[in-house]
Amino acid sequence: MTTPGTAGSVLPALPPAPEVGRRNVLLVGAIFVIAAGTALFGGLLAGYFSARDISRAAGEAWPPDDVILPNVPLFVAYLTLLMSSFTAQWSISAVNGRDRRSMYVAIGLTLVLGLAFVNAMSFSWTAIGVAAESSRFATTMYAVTITHLLVVIAAIVALVVVGFRALGGQFSPEDRELVVAATAFWHFSVAAGLVIWYCIWFLEGGP
Amino acid sequence: MTMTDDPRTESPTHPATSAVEGPAGTPPPRALTGPALWLTTYDHKVVGRLYLALSLVFLLVGSAAGGVLGVERIDSGLQLVVGDAFARLHTLHGEVTVLLFLVPFFLGLATYLVPLQIGASDIAFPRGSATALWSYVVGGIMLLGAYAADGGLASGTTVGTDLYLLSLAVLAVSTCLALVSILTTAVTLRSPGMTMLRTPLFTWSMVVGGGLTLLATPVLLARLIELYIHHHFGADLASLDAADQLNWFWSIPQVYLLAVPAAGVAAEVVPVFTRSRLRRNSVGIAALGALGLLGFGAWAQVDPYADDLLYVIAGLAAVVPALALLGVLGDTVRRGRFVRKAPLLLALGGLVHLFLGTLAGAVQVIPGLELGGTVWAAAQVHYTLFGGAVLGAYAALWYWAPKIWGVHLGEGAGMAAFVLTFWGVVLLALPDLVSGLFSDRLLGASRFDDEALTVVLNVASAAGGALAALGVLVVVGNLLARVARKGGTRALADPWEGSTLEWATSSPPPPGNFTGEVPPVTSAWPVADQRAQERAVAPTDDPEVAEVRP
Repeated sequence: MTTPGTAGSVLPALPPAPEVGRRNVLLVGAIFVIAAGTALFGGLLAGYFSARDISRAAGEAWPPDDVILPNVPLFVAYLTLLMSSFTAQWSISAVNGRDRRSMYVAIGLTLVLGLAFVNAMSFSWTAIGVAAESSRFATTMYAVTITHLLVVIAAIVALVVVGFRALGGQFSPEDRELVVAATAFWHFSVAAGLVIWYCIWFLEGGP
Repeated sequence: MTMTDDPRTESPTHPATSAVEGPAGTPPPRALTGPALWLTTYDHKVVGRLYLALSLVFLLVGSAAGGVLGVERIDSGLQLVVGDAFARLHTLHGEVTVLLFLVPFFLGLATYLVPLQIGASDIAFPRGSATALWSYVVGGIMLLGAYAADGGLASGTTVGTDLYLLSLAVLAVSTCLALVSILTTAVTLRSPGMTMLRTPLFTWSMVVGGGLTLLATPVLLARLIELYIHHHFGADLASLDAADQLNWFWSIPQVYLLAVPAAGVAAEVVPVFTRSRLRRNSVGIAALGALGLLGFGAWAQVDPYADDLLYVIAGLAAVVPALALLGVLGDTVRRGRFVRKAPLLLALGGLVHLFLGTLAGAVQVIPGLELGGTVWAAAQVHYTLFGGAVLGAYAALWYWAPKIWGVHLGEGAGMAAFVLTFWGVVLLALPDLVSGLFSDRLLGASRFDDEALTVVLNVASAAGGALAALGVLVVVGNLLARVARKGGTRALADPWEGSTLEWATSSPPPPGNFTGEVPPVTSAWPVADQRAQERAVAPTDDPEVAEVRP
C-alpha cells in the first residue's frame, strides 16, 4: 500500500479537456420531473380512493348528498386544458418549420388556454361551495385538484420563459430542447388533469 | 506543470461568482468568500460541501435527541421528557437523522462527486442544486422550529403541527429537486465510453437509490398535502393514523433504499483498499439494483400491508442482495491485499451492519412473530441506518475527504469512529432485538416495565447509543480540526490509487473539474487502466510504482 501522496499519484500533463457534450439535458430532466409528478398524483389519487372506501364502508355518501358537482363547467374546464395540449404541440411543429409567427401564436394560445383553465377551476370550486373540512370528499378533492392547479401554473411559468426566449430570437430546429421539455411538462399537466377529471369528476358526478 | 503540482488549489466559485478580469486599467473584482460565496454560488462542489457540513450539524441534533431517549428508557426516574414529549422526541430523532442527515448527506456527496466520477465539467442543473440546498436548510429550520412550537405527529399546537407538515413537504420537494439534477447528470453527461454498466458504483447506487427515492418521495409529499389540509381545517392527526402514513419512509422496506448509496460507497472503497477489482462488476451493479428495487416501499404504508404477501417477500428477499454484495466484496478482499485503513474498515463495518439489518428485517416481516411496531423494528432501523448507512457515510468522508477538501482526515480518528460506531450500534440494537422478541415492547412508549432484565437491556442499549454518539463527536471534531482549520496531510490528486475518474483531477478539483484530458473510458476503472498503461510503458525499479493490478 502506498502512503497518501506518494508514488503513483502524479499524472502527466495533458491538454485541456474538451467540454463534454450536453445530451438532451433539459428533456431528460423534464422526464424525471414528470416521473416524480406521476408518483405525486398516484399518491394523491390513492389517498382519494382510500378515503372514498373508508367513507363508503362507514355508510356515508360519496360525495356527500349536499354536494352538487358543476359538471358542465368542469367538463369545459378540462376540455380547455385538453385543447391546450394541441396548441403546445403546435409550437414544436412551428419551431421545426422555422415558422416564428406560428410559434408565437401557438405559445400565446397555449398560455391563454392554460389561464382559462385556472379561471374555470376557480369558478368550479366556488360553484361547488363546500368547505375543505366539511367531509373527507372535500378534503381529498381539494388536495388533488389544488395540487394539479399548482402543476398547471408551473407549466404556465415554464411556457412563459419559453415565450420570452422565443421573442428574444431563440429556438430553431437545431436548438429546440427547451421548447420540447416545456411542452412535455405541459402534456403531463394535461394528462394528469384528464385522469383527475375521470377519477374525481366523471366517476362521481358524470352522466 | 502537471495537474497535481498544486494539490491545495482551492476550487473557486462558479465563473459567475469568481474573480474575473476587470475592464482595462481596473483591478478585477474581489472573489467572494465565506457566507457571501455560499449564498450566491452554484458551483456543484461548493453546494456539495455545504450539504455535507449542514447534514453533519443536523446529525449532532439527531444524536442528542437519541441520547435523551436512551437515558429516559433506562427508567432511572430522571423523567427528562414525559408524556407527549417522549413521542415527539422519538419522531424528531428519526426525522432529523433520516431527512436532515442521511438523505442530504448522500445528496451532497452525489452533488459533489457524480459529475467528477463521470468526467463531466458541471452538474446538469447547477441552479437547481443550489435551490435544493437552500430549501433543505429552510425546511430543516422549519422542522426544528415546528418541534420547538410543540408541533409533530403527537398532539401539539395547531400552528406547530401545520409548520411541521409544511417543513416535511419543503424537505420532500428539496430532495426531489436535488435528485433530478443528480440523475440527469448521471444519465446525460457521462464521458464518451462510459456506458451505464461502466459507471462507478457510487454513481450507480445514486441512480438506483436516487431514482427510486424520486418515485417514493412524491408519495410522501402527497400524504403530507392531504394531512396538511385535514389538519389545517381542524382534523386531529391521531384520528387520521398520520404516523402510519409517514413512518413508512424509514421502515421496512423503504429503509433499505436509504442504505443503497452507503452500499455504493462500500463497493467503491473495498476494491481500492484491497488493491483488487470486483471479479464481476455486473454482480455489484445487480446487487445494488436489487437492493434498491426491494427497498421501494411507497406501497407499504398502512397496516393491512403488514400481512401482505408482497411485504413479506420483499422483507425476506432483501437479504439476498445484501448477502450478494457482502459476498462479492468479501471475494475482492480475499483475492486482494487487505490494507487496514479507516475507509476500508468503516465501509466493511457498514456492510456487515446492513446485512444484519436485512436479517432482522427478514425476521420482522414473519407475520406470526408480530414484531412490527415493537422495539425490534427500532433495532432493525438502527442496524440498517445507523450501522449500515451512517458507517457508509463515515467511510465516504474518510475516502473522499482528500478530493472534497484537499486534506486527509485523521487515521486514528477514523479507527476510533469505526470502533465506537460499529460496537455502539451492536450494543444499541442487540438489546432491543431481545426485548422486542420476548417482551413485545412498543415503539414510542414513554415508560417500560421495571423488570430487572428489561432495565439491564435498556442500560446496555443506552450505553451503545452513547458510544455511537461519541463516534459522531469524533467524526465532527476531526472534520472541524482537519477541514475548517486546514490541518492534516495535504492531499495529492490520487492519494489512494483510485480507479474512477474523480482521481484523475487535482484535489480539490479546479473550476470545470478537469484541467487535463479526461482519461479514456474503456472499463469501469479508467484511472486504474491509465495508471497500468503508464507503468507498462515506463518501467521503474520502484516496486510500488511497478505494481500492476490484476
